[in-house]
Amino acid sequence: MNPLILTIILMTVFLGTMIVMASSHWLMIWIGFEMNLLAIIPILMKKYSPRAMEASTKYFLTQATASMLLMMAIIINLMHSGQWTITKVFNPTASIIMTLALAMKLGLTPFHFWVPEVTQGISLTSGLILLTWQKLAPMSILYQISPSINLNILLTMAVLSILVGGWGGLNQTQLRKIMAYSSIAHMGWMTAILVYNPTLTMLNMLIYIMMTLTMFMLFIHSSSTTTLSLSHTWNKAPLITTLILITLLSMGGLPPLSGFMPKWMIIQELTKNSSIILPTLMAIMALLNLYFYTRLTYSTSLTMFPSTNNMKMKWQFETKQITLLPPLIIASSLLLPLTPMLSILD
Amino acid sequence: MLKIIIPTIMLMPLTWLSKKNMIWINTTTYSLLISLISLSLLNQPNNNSLNFSLMFFSDPLSAPLLVLTTWLLPLMLMASQHHLSKEPLIRKKLYITMLAMLQTFLIMTFTATELISFYILFEATLVPTLIIITRWGNQTERLNAGLYFLFYTLAGSLPLLVALISIQNLTGSLNFLLIQYWNQALPDSWSNIFLWLACMMAFMVKMPLYGLHLWLPKAHVEAPIAGSMVLAAILLKLGGYGMLRITMMLNPQTNFMAYPFLMLSLWGMIMTSSICLRQTDLKSLIAYSSVSHMALVIVAVLIQTPWSYMGATALMIAHGLTSSMLFCLANSNYERTHSRTMILARGLQTLLPLMAAWWLLASLTNLALPPSINLIGELFVVMSSFSWSNITIILMGANITITALYSLYMLITTQRGKYTHHINSIKPSFTRENALMALHMTPLLLLSLNPKIILGFTY
Repeated sequence: MNPLILTIILMTVFLGTMIVMASSHWLMIWIGFEMNLLAIIPILMKKYSPRAMEASTKYFLTQATASMLLMMAIIINLMHSGQWTITKVFNPTASIIMTLALAMKLGLTPFHFWVPEVTQGISLTSGLILLTWQKLAPMSILYQISPSINLNILLTMAVLSILVGGWGGLNQTQLRKIMAYSSIAHMGWMTAILVYNPTLTMLNMLIYIMMTLTMFMLFIHSSSTTTLSLSHTWNKAPLITTLILITLLSMGGLPPLSGFMPKWMIIQELTKNSSIILPTLMAIMALLNLYFYTRLTYSTSLTMFPSTNNMKMKWQFETKQITLLPPLIIASSLLLPLTPMLSILD
Repeated sequence: MLKIIIPTIMLMPLTWLSKKNMIWINTTTYSLLISLISLSLLNQPNNNSLNFSLMFFSDPLSAPLLVLTTWLLPLMLMASQHHLSKEPLIRKKLYITMLAMLQTFLIMTFTATELISFYILFEATLVPTLIIITRWGNQTERLNAGLYFLFYTLAGSLPLLVALISIQNLTGSLNFLLIQYWNQALPDSWSNIFLWLACMMAFMVKMPLYGLHLWLPKAHVEAPIAGSMVLAAILLKLGGYGMLRITMMLNPQTNFMAYPFLMLSLWGMIMTSSICLRQTDLKSLIAYSSVSHMALVIVAVLIQTPWSYMGATALMIAHGLTSSMLFCLANSNYERTHSRTMILARGLQTLLPLMAAWWLLASLTNLALPPSINLIGELFVVMSSFSWSNITIILMGANITITALYSLYMLITTQRGKYTHHINSIKPSFTRENALMALHMTPLLLLSLNPKIILGFTY
């Protein structure tokens, strides 16, 4: 794509999210969402193919529906409160509709069906933007309306997301779908704690973004989109396999890596609020996630994958540059001792 | 405590910066020095624990386990030299780094005061062990073994995390030094029963309890020698150590909650001992014998009498050294014949008489021959379980007999009789191997002179 056009489009995506996060007027927030949506469509279609077209169409349809639901909730809120300022939502119906709309934008169950298919149809870099940057805007709105969210709906969606994210990823070999299901599961963890302590949602979002960023960077470096092609990285760049191992185990939530920190804090917060069965259930279901990450590490770092000599020399037309990989790796694996610092997120 | 932890952490830069011909020498020497430092912890004041700081302490229960851990690292390094000799340098260094990392986590686990910190480090020991088993194991089944190991332990320990946090909410602090003094009876309710279960299941899986022991034979058999050694000697004892610490807070539910686990352990020790009599795989035999010995420890911990605690602690240390030694002996067989089948390498006494002496000593301590500390441990456990219920003497007696049977079976099959014709070209025993066995056996024999140090905090 023409670099100037790409810059303008990326700026619009960025601006859209910033408008959502910084506005106090509901209409501006809706405008921000729409700007974001319209600008990200060309990015999703960077490599022009029918599959990418299908993916961006699906994305557009779900996000537009969600925006419309959001608009309806805003209007109901306007009707009952008489003002457009974003504080809390003044009507339970509006709150429910808004929660459902934002869940659709995030990809929570039962609105998760678009996430794997859209992520699969687009390139790795676009998938990266989809799974990390696009989650910031809806999450910030959820953060702001968190006092008035209906707990039952949110917790049901969260627990179901963790379940679906774990179970759905079990049968996948395509890396983008694996990351999509991982995103669904992590969104579930984030929204589960939203009503109790929104700071932890932000913490989880931060750590999740860092880990997903790292994973995608590693995938982009080896230009691999399937488990099979990822298993050939030992030949070209053996260090990358170690980094993949560490980051995947961190995503699975194994101590002492930093992926454990959000899970631990969330379990602690939920237990303090006297729900004991829920965090136990969530923690056990996160083991499903860990299973397919471990399976990925088995084929990548911990074993020599059987391959013919032809497959060992992958065509690599240009070396892909990984930006910022060392700090990302450190952030996604070694942050656990810094847990007391999460008070800065307040 | 930092005087032990920081040198162990620094073992990792040591391996990466050493020259090619010095890695083994450097790491083994320095880890031996570290174990020398840890010996000073055995000097415990009588009715108290040595509190080094808010975060680390060592009491008569954790000090022997700590000494065992630090003692085992040089032994693991010595045992791994042969099977890593053909690997590229970076992989050797990675292996040693994994071992050093595991060692660090284990030391910190045994000396942690805060129970959540104990939990995090307990889980953290899983990662290097998983990498060692899966990356350097020898057979295809190691993948399955690693998965079983990881998921059994995690599924058991996630409820433990929730339980620890809810206890922290109730009491305000999980610092072990405080809990000793806070101790109140746990009120009787259904949620406290689940609390008991949540606390104990993690350690039951780790020990392992008879019904949950499926991961152990897989993991022990598929792991390379250092992995087997550390698994058998230390990681199982993590479960026992955790149980000993946590049962302090869980009275009086333990009185009735312990019954199912006691039944499982009592029956399980007989079952696993009997299975040993039918094993063809040498490492599998030693793995099942570990389950059997650990079942005794579970019985001892759940009975909760002073003598049983003494027996549990002594048995843990004794079994650690014996089991590790048996795995080293099995490995010396494996390195020569590349097969774990017992009958393929029999009659070794004719070819390797000195190694046969070590086999004899190891088998004798495994069957708890007086005056070894194995006997002291088992005897205390048998006596305390007899006082708990007279009928258990039948099961205990049967267990001791069957243990003797399979230990002697293992000894006779591998050592006595006519050697097979295809092993008359094996290499003679290396000095390294003999040193390894001697270093295992010497503490075991010396401790029978002064078992007081391993008898734990109820002495």
